[in-house]
Amino acid sequence: MAGIVPEQWSAAENGNANVTAKGSSRELRHGRTAHNMSSSSLRKKSDLRVIQKVPCKGLKDFLSNLQEVVLGTKLAILFPAIPVAIIGTYCGFSQPWIFGLSLLGLTPLAERVSFLTEQLAFYTGPTLGGLLNATCGNATELIIAILALTNHKVAVVKYSLLGSILSNLLLVLGTSLFCGGIANLQREQRFDRKQADVNFFLLLMGLLCHLLPLLFGYVGNEETSAALISDMTLNLSRASSIIMLIGYIAYLVFQLWTHRQLFDAQDQEDEYDDNVADEETAVISFWSGFAWLVGMTLVIALLSEYVVATIEDASESWGLSVSFISIILLPIVGNAAEHAGAIIFAFKNKLDISLGVALGSATQIGLFVVPLTIIVAWILGINMDLNFSLLETGSLALSIIITAFTLQDGTSHYMKGLVLLLCYFIIAICFFVDKIPQKQPNAIHMGIQPMNNIITWGKGVFSS
Amino acid sequence: MGSITEPWSIAENGNANATAKGSSRELRHGRTAHNMSSSSLRKKSDLRMIQKVPCKTLKKILSNFQEVILGTKLTVLFLAVPLSIIANSYHYGRPWIFGLSLIGLTPLAERVSFLTEQLAFYTGPTVGGLLNATCGNATELIIAILALANNKVAVVKYSLLGSILSNLLLVLGTSLFCGGIANIRREQRFDRKQADVNFFLLLMGLLCHLLPLFLTYSATAETSTSLINKMSLTLSRASSIVMLIAYIAYLIFQLWTHRQLFEEQEVPKSCMFDSDRILERICLARWDDTRHRIAIRDASDSWGLSVSFISVILLPIVGNAAEHAGAIIFAFKNKLDISLGVALGSATQISLFVVPLSVIVAWIMGIKMDLNFNILETSSLAVAIIITAFTLQDGTSHYMKGLVLFLCYVIIAACFFVDQIPQKQPNGMGVGLQPKNNLGVFSA
Repeated sequence: MAGIVPEQWSAAENGNANVTAKGSSRELRHGRTAHNMSSSSLRKKSDLRVIQKVPCKGLKDFLSNLQEVVLGTKLAILFPAIPVAIIGTYCGFSQPWIFGLSLLGLTPLAERVSFLTEQLAFYTGPTLGGLLNATCGNATELIIAILALTNHKVAVVKYSLLGSILSNLLLVLGTSLFCGGIANLQREQRFDRKQADVNFFLLLMGLLCHLLPLLFGYVGNEETSAALISDMTLNLSRASSIIMLIGYIAYLVFQLWTHRQLFDAQDQEDEYDDNVADEETAVISFWSGFAWLVGMTLVIALLSEYVVATIEDASESWGLSVSFISIILLPIVGNAAEHAGAIIFAFKNKLDISLGVALGSATQIGLFVVPLTIIVAWILGINMDLNFSLLETGSLALSIIITAFTLQDGTSHYMKGLVLLLCYFIIAICFFVDKIPQKQPNAIHMGIQPMNNIITWGKGVFSS
Repeated sequence: MGSITEPWSIAENGNANATAKGSSRELRHGRTAHNMSSSSLRKKSDLRMIQKVPCKTLKKILSNFQEVILGTKLTVLFLAVPLSIIANSYHYGRPWIFGLSLIGLTPLAERVSFLTEQLAFYTGPTVGGLLNATCGNATELIIAILALANNKVAVVKYSLLGSILSNLLLVLGTSLFCGGIANIRREQRFDRKQADVNFFLLLMGLLCHLLPLFLTYSATAETSTSLINKMSLTLSRASSIVMLIAYIAYLIFQLWTHRQLFEEQEVPKSCMFDSDRILERICLARWDDTRHRIAIRDASDSWGLSVSFISVILLPIVGNAAEHAGAIIFAFKNKLDISLGVALGSATQISLFVVPLSVIVAWIMGIKMDLNFNILETSSLAVAIIITAFTLQDGTSHYMKGLVLFLCYVIIAACFFVDQIPQKQPNGMGVGLQPKNNLGVFSA
């Protein structure tokens, strides 16, 4: 596992064993976060020798640019899935195939978007770059969510966002801590608690915003009509979303300006003397980077469109429920790049980066993507609220609490990782066996509140 | 507390540093905090009388007998064992049989832990540790399996839940309280890491109980009860397997890779012994259990207490009496690590080993037992785990912490005391209480 990490990281590891040392590192000056650093562990150095032989200069530039962007990742093998998926839709492949291929194609794209934002950050300066990184870090999830919304698949949106949080908290973190614990059995594994704690406050705040609308559904008595309850839930959700976004903006200010030393992943002073040339030059120009980013986003949008359109067919032909596919399968694919990175850093006993990836990503989805989706739905005139149903909210609550307890003491061992991982399996099993039919296209929660059942039952009696 | 046995006093004086680490004798013989705590109830046997017996074999048997039967301060309670058996054959009132069996179980639980410890001297540390960890809650396991055999699923669930609650709140609460009062001037410290490991596992167990509960509540009116039960059952069985995997990993963690976290103080140990009597012991315990298990319903009727109160509150108090006394004694001596090891270790063991094992045994026997303890019980458990986890966050203790935990236990006990909702179904506490199912019945 450790052998495939790029050179500069190994240098950092050898040169500086003190994981918790702080200092003004160059990382932050270019607005890189733990998230990007983790993705970058999947990159490889491009070999530009072949291209040097091309005579025309314009063509040479174009080719080297192409190579940097397309072949600069170890996941490049998965790129062929993209054209195949696109061709597949026109040649009338069966829907599940298109679904599978699109999922595969999304994996390298997620990693490349983070590469491109990082490149752009070289030109925009640290603050803007940090913002850009923080926002584009979970671009795939955001695009899938917005596309599913425009197709009125509110349940898929809710499930996939929830799944993404669960997968970051339990799966990514669990495997990282477990692998890290096994690899460093004899060493003590330490990390900085403060950074983790900030994420947990925010996640708990997000949980509150999900719990209140859920509880609304249970407090109504028989006289309250279902319409009134969904109306209240909707208003509450929209107001909460705005507050969540304020919370997220405050978090960005906290992270990028006032308390950036907390999020300074590692001190890498030693390494810079050797690796400045490699690390610090942007490999592509601003405008080509920008163009690539726009292009990638469009491809992601296209693939996401396929995923969203074919999810029901895939669910039927594979015999898996939509909830299982959205909560478990989608996020695993969307997070593959960060996941691999987090594990690699855990192996090297750099838990701060692993935690930064997993928790940062979860916080970002919980406090930025989710409320943004609600507000986009509001603009589109779709009634989407924050009420994930009981089972989903319960899983989320338990995941947040277990993870928070696990990371309380600033040390780690493999047992912690294992417990988180097993919790993820239990939740996955739960959604796997959950065959309760989801009739309504809109809103997971509608059929689930006892109040509404009584009302529909009453209506049924009256009409019959 | 003058009643503490000699070896313990020596240990106390000789080694005042409660958190001292090192390769202690404890681990070489696979003893856990659980056993050490029980052993505080033991007394030195006085072998002088037996020395006068002429025949060598007889002497051996007698001294063996004395070590096993009379080696505990709870010996007096052994009288209840034959009494309950006699009472049963002479058809006394069933509540009497129930009460006597409960009293008889108390010393048996302590003796089983003594015998496993003795066996550990012969088997070496690893197997011994495993044996100790597994037999530590033998009483609870046997009660659970016998109740299952009698198809009393509700009693199984209640008694296991009660055992976790009693360990977390009652045993820990009284230990911390007494310890806090006795050491009011001294700082009481313990090692957080050991406690933390137990809490991850307890929280994971909680997740396994919560998901089936939520599953039944999130059903729509159209979903049939049988579908829900089937899903909940599949989920519970799969979760049980995952829980057992976690427990095995916990044993590996505790006995091999991170044993320094669980290492306790060095304690001199007085004993030797041939231990094949353990089987006899367990048979006796099992015999006894059968009696009181059958009697529980009658006892509940004639005492005017609900089955849930008896199973959740009374049964675990008896089953844990020996560890309970031990935990308090160690807390008095400001050895909180041992007290915590007993209480939390026991709770973890029941939650992640006895509970899933019961579900799997039920599966083998064809009984439909799931992990869905109903909402009142599950939330008591959730709150108990979270309160205890918060209490133990900072590695120090004072009597207020113990008092709050104890009061929480009293509140939960009061709740089950006033709870008179009838439990009609022999199988499954969850069934009658779901809003969904009520609706289903209604519309049918």
